[in-house]
Amino acid sequence: MSIEPTLFVRITSIEKITKQVKKFTMSSETGKGLPKFSGGTHVSTYLKTRSGLIVRQYSLVSHPDDSTKYEIAVRLSEDSKGGSFYWHQEMKVGDRLQISSPRNHFYLSFKAKHHVFYAAGIGITPFLSMMQDLSAKGQTFELHYASKSEDSCAFHPYIKKHYPIQSHFYFSDQQQRLQITSLENHPIGTHVYFCGPEGFIEQFRIAAGKLGYPESSVHYERFLPTQNKAMKAFKVILQNGSELIVEEKQTLLEVLLANGTYIPYSCRVGRCGTCEIPVAEGKIEHFDDFLSEEQKNEQNCILACVSRGCSDKLVLKI
Amino acid sequence: MKWTGDLAHFPYPFKDSTYRYSNNSIPMKQPLSIEVTPSYKKEMLLKRKLLSDHPERCYQSLLHSMTGQWEIVELVIDHLVSKYPQDFSVKKENNSWIFTNKILDEKIEFIFGEKNSLPCEPLFFISQHVQEDLIYMRQRDDNLYLDAGQLCFPANWSLAFNIGMKFKSIHHPIPGFKEEGLDQRILQFLMRLEAGTPWERLNWSLMAGDRLDTSLETFDQWGRLRKQVTSENAGELVHIRVEVQKLFRLPRTNSILFSIHTHLLALEQLATNSEWVQQFYEILSELPAHIIEYKGISNYKKAVLEYLEKQLQQVKTL
Repeated sequence: MSIEPTLFVRITSIEKITKQVKKFTMSSETGKGLPKFSGGTHVSTYLKTRSGLIVRQYSLVSHPDDSTKYEIAVRLSEDSKGGSFYWHQEMKVGDRLQISSPRNHFYLSFKAKHHVFYAAGIGITPFLSMMQDLSAKGQTFELHYASKSEDSCAFHPYIKKHYPIQSHFYFSDQQQRLQITSLENHPIGTHVYFCGPEGFIEQFRIAAGKLGYPESSVHYERFLPTQNKAMKAFKVILQNGSELIVEEKQTLLEVLLANGTYIPYSCRVGRCGTCEIPVAEGKIEHFDDFLSEEQKNEQNCILACVSRGCSDKLVLKI
Repeated sequence: MKWTGDLAHFPYPFKDSTYRYSNNSIPMKQPLSIEVTPSYKKEMLLKRKLLSDHPERCYQSLLHSMTGQWEIVELVIDHLVSKYPQDFSVKKENNSWIFTNKILDEKIEFIFGEKNSLPCEPLFFISQHVQEDLIYMRQRDDNLYLDAGQLCFPANWSLAFNIGMKFKSIHHPIPGFKEEGLDQRILQFLMRLEAGTPWERLNWSLMAGDRLDTSLETFDQWGRLRKQVTSENAGELVHIRVEVQKLFRLPRTNSILFSIHTHLLALEQLATNSEWVQQFYEILSELPAHIIEYKGISNYKKAVLEYLEKQLQQVKTL
């Protein structure tokens, strides 16, 4: 079970802004305004396609204070698994869909003295609302934006018009290249933000580290595809030696409670962290939204309400 | 003034026969930050008196909390109006708002987002219309800070002391909280709160007396009652104090609203439910010394247990 809060919206306009990018405007179905959001926010969109439900995340590119509409920009990906293909080929004005509430995992630093954004291609999208937030607050920023050509550069006219001094464009068809050496030119206290293809982010992230940027001054956003849960039965061994089987359709928490092994729990959806159990042995498949990547990789604890064993057995320290 | 007697609205806090600190949060079924109970009017009178007599103790804010304060005004008004349309209404024309509180027969006109259109700060204004204490936790980089708050009914803590502090520093005095790693886990949980999915939890303690305003600053006035508890007067004198705590992600500032609604119930009223008495007796008997001490029960735990035993005896002889 997972909780996915959803807003009901309707597509009110579709605009082709480059050869490969379309901008979609949506407004609330209920007539009640949409929640305002902060710079860098995204929403998950739920597409009911013929081959099933497709969940994709897109940054909001409309103004954070505008509660009458949300806008997203979708690039048609060559190897689309259905998400961007559906947006480009199937979505029509008037179509209804569900989206998540706004979520921000790529927020502006509060303590930064200066903000510098590095975008490649469609990676520009989260920076649009961030720049709007900073302009309103009167804080300083720069944008370095790499694209194949001026024609394929999404939001190029808009950015040039609104941020003529702050923005720098790099068009590869004109032999202009955005170099990592650009990172050397920012004053102490600058926070840098990267968004674009995986290789681009890695290149800049590593370079920033080598140059001595503190980890907390380096921000980046990747959109990861949502996990498919493979529900298999697994076995756990308790400290008293008893062995329990968690069947395909059961959770570890349910089995423990049914067995009379009481552990504290609360939300039962992998968010609050109350039912965390230490694990001595075995490989864990984490399905929660609570533990950090690092904590997950340590493979020494499990949230009993959603996560599962993916080796033969898990030896629990309870 | 009596604050007790409201069995119908009392949020009984226990589900097991033992109690430990934990993140016992659950997703809210009805996503409302406020609740209006029959004691609304008298609590508002007391709250307003405290706010005007002791503003430094009951209200604190940092300059950069202003956008967040307006966000709270909007959220709370929306909740009041949608849940209690007979008691509250709002008329919005662009940014001109007229808020009507029919219980108190008040009409307030202001320009949303315009600080000077109200005689006080936005959070101060809206807190005069709800029984809840309202705390604004601002997400700054990778931490949460108490950046504004209205607190009239604290369970022995000080807003003036905690303003501007980080989440972990605020909770530092709780014994075992840090050692068990709970502070990090709960901070992690809070940082992952999402708009559209508010959470709630219950917190409890015991107190001698029935004051709602048990601030740290006035401990000399109410703390002494702890020494006057006997097994004869415990039923009347000792109260169980339950806080309904609610957590909302505020999407515009990517921060958190923490609302606290405090309920008091005399032990003699708790005793009208024999299951509650039995369960509470078991919990209190088993409670570890560090929790007893922190909750301020050490002085009179014995007297309360004796009182509860008597109640249980009576049930058995009936």
